[in-house]
Amino acid sequence: MAGAVVAVVALCGLGVQSFRGDRTVGAQLAGPVVRNAEVDNAYYHCLDVQTRSLVAPGQTVSFTGTDPYSVITLLQAVGSWITVADPPSGATARLSLLYGQGHGCLGTVVVAYYAAAHGGPVVRVGSGDEVAGNGPPPPSPL
Amino acid sequence: MTTAPAAILTLMVLSAVGLFPAVAAVGLRWVTVPLLPLGGAVVAALAAAGFVAVGGTFMIWFAGLAVAGAVSVAGHWSARPEARPWRGRGRPVGARYRATGVIGALAVAATGGWCLRSLSAPAVGFDARAIWLMRGGWFLQPHHQLLFDMRAPSLVLYQSAYPPLVSASTAVAWSIAGNHSFRLGVVVVALLNACALAAAAFALVECGRTAAVRLAYPREQRIDPGPADGEPGDVLPLAPLVAGVVAAVLLVPVASGITGPFMTNGYADPIWSLAAVGAVAFGLQLQAGRFQRGATALLLVVAGMSKEEGTAIAIALIALVAVRAVATMAPGDRRRNLWRPVALAGLEVGAVALWPVVMRVIRARGATSTFAPAGVWSGRVRPTYDALVPYLHVVVLAVPLAIVGAVFLSRVRRAAGTANDGWGWAGLSVGLAGVGAVLVTDSGAIGPLLAGSVHRLSEFPALVGWWIVAVWAVVASGSVAAGRRRRNRRSRTAPAVTEGVTATGVRHDLTTTA
Repeated sequence: MAGAVVAVVALCGLGVQSFRGDRTVGAQLAGPVVRNAEVDNAYYHCLDVQTRSLVAPGQTVSFTGTDPYSVITLLQAVGSWITVADPPSGATARLSLLYGQGHGCLGTVVVAYYAAAHGGPVVRVGSGDEVAGNGPPPPSPL
Repeated sequence: MTTAPAAILTLMVLSAVGLFPAVAAVGLRWVTVPLLPLGGAVVAALAAAGFVAVGGTFMIWFAGLAVAGAVSVAGHWSARPEARPWRGRGRPVGARYRATGVIGALAVAATGGWCLRSLSAPAVGFDARAIWLMRGGWFLQPHHQLLFDMRAPSLVLYQSAYPPLVSASTAVAWSIAGNHSFRLGVVVVALLNACALAAAAFALVECGRTAAVRLAYPREQRIDPGPADGEPGDVLPLAPLVAGVVAAVLLVPVASGITGPFMTNGYADPIWSLAAVGAVAFGLQLQAGRFQRGATALLLVVAGMSKEEGTAIAIALIALVAVRAVATMAPGDRRRNLWRPVALAGLEVGAVALWPVVMRVIRARGATSTFAPAGVWSGRVRPTYDALVPYLHVVVLAVPLAIVGAVFLSRVRRAAGTANDGWGWAGLSVGLAGVGAVLVTDSGAIGPLLAGSVHRLSEFPALVGWWIVAVWAVVASGSVAAGRRRRNRRSRTAPAVTEGVTATGVRHDLTTTA
C-alpha cells in the first residue's frame, strides 16, 4: 500500500512539473520573446558589420579610454575575431561607441580613432548596417 | 556551411573523439550514446588547457589528445582482452529487459528533441556573447594573443578565466565548419546540454531495469543469461521497468523547465548542472558498478570543466562518490582495493583542477576570487535564502516521500539495488551549500547578484530534488514484486509437509526443510 501511494504521488508530482516545464519551454517561442531575440541579434550584427568597415581581422585595436560598458558591448559584438593590441599604444585603431546618434545600430555607432602623423587622430564612423530605433537592445534573461 | 549541417558535423566530430574514452568508461550501452559528444567536449576542454599552458594551436592539441586517448584505450584493450566492452559479461537478457532499453532510449531522445524546440527562437544570451561563445574565437587565435586576451586589464571581463568546456566546444565547431556564428555556438551548446540531460534521465531507465532484475532473481542468477529452457527476461516484473521509463521521460521536460531559456541560449549553467545531476544519479543513487562508475566520472569532469560553480560542486561530489565507494566495500575488499576509488577520485580532481591551476599560473584576469568581508556574510544569508526558496519547492514533495519511503520501503529499496536515499540527499546538500556559499561570500552587492544569478545557480539543487522523487517512484513501483519475492523466500524455508507412498503402499508424512 505504501509503495503504491509513494509511486502514484511521485509520478503525479513529476507529471505536473513536466507539464509546467513544457509550458516554460513553449514560452520561449512566444512572439515578444522571439522579436526581442531578433532585435538583439540585429543590434550586435550591426555593430559587427560597422566594426568590420573600420578594421580588418588581424589589424590591432585597443579600447583605451573607453568606458567599461562600451568595452563589454564591443567584446560581445566583435571580441571573437578582433586582435587586441599588446601594448595598447601599438594599436592601429582605438574603438569606441557613441550612443544616442539617431541612426546606426539602435542609435549607436562604432567609432574608430586612428593615429595621424600630424595633428589629432583621424576619426571614422562605422557603416554598412543600420537597425532602426533607439537602444539599448531588449534585456535578455540573466 | 549553414548552421544545421555545421552543428551535426560538430556533434559527429565530438562523438568520434569521445568514442574511445566513453566506451572504455561505460561500455556498449544505450547511455553511452549521449556520453560520446560529452567525452569529446572534455577532450576539447583539456586541449584548451594545454594550449593556454604550453602553446601551439588549439586544434592541434584537440587532434593530438583525441589520438592519444584512442591509442591508450586501444592499447589497454589489446593488453587486456577481458576489458573489451564487446565481449559481454553475461548481463541479464530477455525481451523485457532489452525492450525497456530500446523504448527508454527512444522515448528520452524523442522527448529531448521536443524540448529543444525552443532552439527555433534565435536567442543568444548576454553571458554567451560576453564569455562562453566569444572566448571560442580567442582559442582559435595565436597563443601569444590568447594570453594577452586572458590577462589584459583593459578587457575588463574577469569571467574570462571561467572553465573552458563550452568555449572549447564552440571553437571546435567554428574551426571545422568554417562558420563563426554565435548561432552555431548556441546550437552546439544546446545539443551538449541535451546529451547531458539524456544521460541523467536514462539513469532512471537503468534504475528500473536493475530493480526488476534484482527483484526477480536470486543473487546467483543475476549475471547468468538464464536457464536454457526459456527466456528469463520474461519473468522480470513489469512495474519497475515501466516506472523507470516513465520517470525518465517526465524528467526531461522537468529539467528543461528548470533550466528555462538558458538551455538554448548558450549559457554554461545547464551543462554543468545537468552533468552534475547525472553524476549524482549514477554515482550516488544507483547500484554501484563498473559502468555506473564510468558514467559518473565522465559526467563529473564535464560539470567541473564547465563553470566555476561546477568546479566547486564537482570536487565535492567526487569526494562524496569516493566516500560512498569506500563505505560500501566489504571489509576485506576495502583493505585490498581502497586505492581504486581514491585513485579514480584523484584523476577526476586532476582533470577538473587543471584549468584553474593554469589560470593562476598565467595570472589570468579574474583567476583569483574576491570575497566580501566575513563580517557581512551573516547579513547576506537571509536574502540568499529568500531568493532560493521559490526555486526549490520540489523539497516540499521530496522530503515527505523520502520519510515515508525510509519508514515503509527501505527494504524494497535495498532489494531493488538502489543506494540509500541519504546519498542523494547528501548530493543535494552539497549543491545547496555550494550555491549558498557562492552567493553569501561573493563581493558583489547582494541585490543585483541574486537578481542576476539565483535562477541559474539553483538549477542543480532543484534538479537533484526531482531526481530523488523519480528514484522513489521507481523503487516504490517494485514493492509488489519485492513482497512476492519475500513470500517466495519464506515458503522455501518453511517446513513442507508432503504425503509420500512407500513401496509397500503405506502413506507417510514426509516433513522436509529446504
